Amino acid sequence: MAEVSFEARLERMFAQAPAMRDGELFALRVLERLDRGWTARRLLIGAMGAVGGVVGAAQLLSSGAVGQLQALGAESNAFVTQHLAQAIPPSVLPAGVTLNGQVVFMTLALAVVAAGLGIARAIREI
Amino acid sequence: MARTAPDRPALQSAHDLELVALASTGGRAAFGELARRHGSAVRGLMRRMGADGALADDLAQDAFLAAFEQIGDFRGEGTFQAWVKRIAARLYVRRWRKSAREGLLAEGAEAEAAGDAGEGGAVSRLDLDDALKGLSQAERVCVSLCYGAGLSHAEAAAALNAPLGTVKSHVKRGLDRLRARLSPDGDGAQASKVHG
Repeated sequence: MAEVSFEARLERMFAQAPAMRDGELFALRVLERLDRGWTARRLLIGAMGAVGGVVGAAQLLSSGAVGQLQALGAESNAFVTQHLAQAIPPSVLPAGVTLNGQVVFMTLALAVVAAGLGIARAIREI
Repeated sequence: MARTAPDRPALQSAHDLELVALASTGGRAAFGELARRHGSAVRGLMRRMGADGALADDLAQDAFLAAFEQIGDFRGEGTFQAWVKRIAARLYVRRWRKSAREGLLAEGAEAEAAGDAGEGGAVSRLDLDDALKGLSQAERVCVSLCYGAGLSHAEAAAALNAPLGTVKSHVKRGLDRLRARLSPDGDGAQASKVHG
């Protein structure tokens, strides 16, 4: 019983830490080190991203992927244009309006960008 | 309505758990308030474990930085202060083990203890900080881990990479010495001789 009471007393004594006068300064130093760590981390991530980007771009150019992408784009454009022409006859469209694969792809891309902006704004507002 | 960071007075009046929640979403100011509130306690524990002033401050800062990194792991099961103290205590032990030779907790390692801690007989009014100085470093670390940082004997043994029995015996001897030194009736000299 005495053992338990002494142990409890000891825990209380350990818990009673004297307040140090430079507590404010200590907290500032913690935050400074935190910021320093984040700055270094950002620089490192940025540098790694730049290196990775350069390597990736070099790989893409050297592999002829750009040419393949252009060919693929032309094929898919022709495919979509052909099917659009079958689905929507040009006579239905207003004068001066053309509907082809490029227009569809551009419209879809803009819709994705608009949706992304909308989601970002909604998250910020919540 | 855009969410804005709470101002300083709001942080000062916030509960630890609210500050932890803010810090876990990257709130530096909230974490700074936690460091301001609990810095002294963590630094005090480091000193009680045997670190000098500069080392105690360095380790306490390291502990808060580690706490920020791992703040998602804090579930609020104990107090934030106790959680950071445990992190700091483990950091101190790691540093201590690195700097010390093999056999840190060997039975012979207690030779450095102030075996005559109670020789003077006038030690009944010593406070904890002074009383801890009368322990061997191994006893001091073991007692501080268990009663200051709240680790179980098994957790302390794991942190120290030492056998459980060794840790228990250091804690037991440390407690005996502290009891003798902190006893209000001033029988420290006798008790020290018996247990020392």
